[in-house]
Amino acid sequence: MADQEKLVIMVTHGPDDPELATIPFVMAGAAVASDVDVVMGFQGDGCRLVQRGVAETVSAPEFAPLAGLLDSIRELGGQFLVCSPCVKSRGIEDELIDGAEVCAAARFVAEITSATNSLVY
Amino acid sequence: MSATLSETDLAGVAADKVVDARGAACPGPLLETKKAMGSVPVGSVLELWSSDPQTKVDIAAWCGKVGHELLGTLSADGYERVFVRRMK
Repeated sequence: MADQEKLVIMVTHGPDDPELATIPFVMAGAAVASDVDVVMGFQGDGCRLVQRGVAETVSAPEFAPLAGLLDSIRELGGQFLVCSPCVKSRGIEDELIDGAEVCAAARFVAEITSATNSLVY
Repeated sequence: MSATLSETDLAGVAADKVVDARGAACPGPLLETKKAMGSVPVGSVLELWSSDPQTKVDIAAWCGKVGHELLGTLSADGYERVFVRRMK
């Protein structure tokens, strides 16, 4: 559908920075609730947020716990794309949560250039 | 989007579903509203309870974007009751 809005949100901060790890999930949650297609792209240490068992350990003061946001985004149709070399360098390619799709740069470019807008955290 | 009912009229509204999101941080109340909206027929009224004072502003913006009707907000003891009619 030509007028369907799409937001791509790139996540580069991991569990060591709970606030900047959580904010992109807050934005993604508001977007999927607003009927906007959402693609979250995880690069660098952001990849660790979609490693099994990690989201449950991330919580920033005054923010919703990250794991619950992640579940809601997934339930409402958000997609999770993960940078291939980033997961390989961390040895976590076999430890990703259900629904996380490993991809390479051209896929990110395709998603971003076809989106209504994109955010980078 | 501004509220469409007066507080007096709102007090007489019987919601079809109540969503208790008290204690949830942004965007929890919005996400709970979105999920609940899918479980009631078009035309139904959903009543959201939230202790986050920003929720009524957030829900107003959301209604304006997605096309639901914000009926209004009532203050309760430590939380607010936000009434939304499903329009589509």
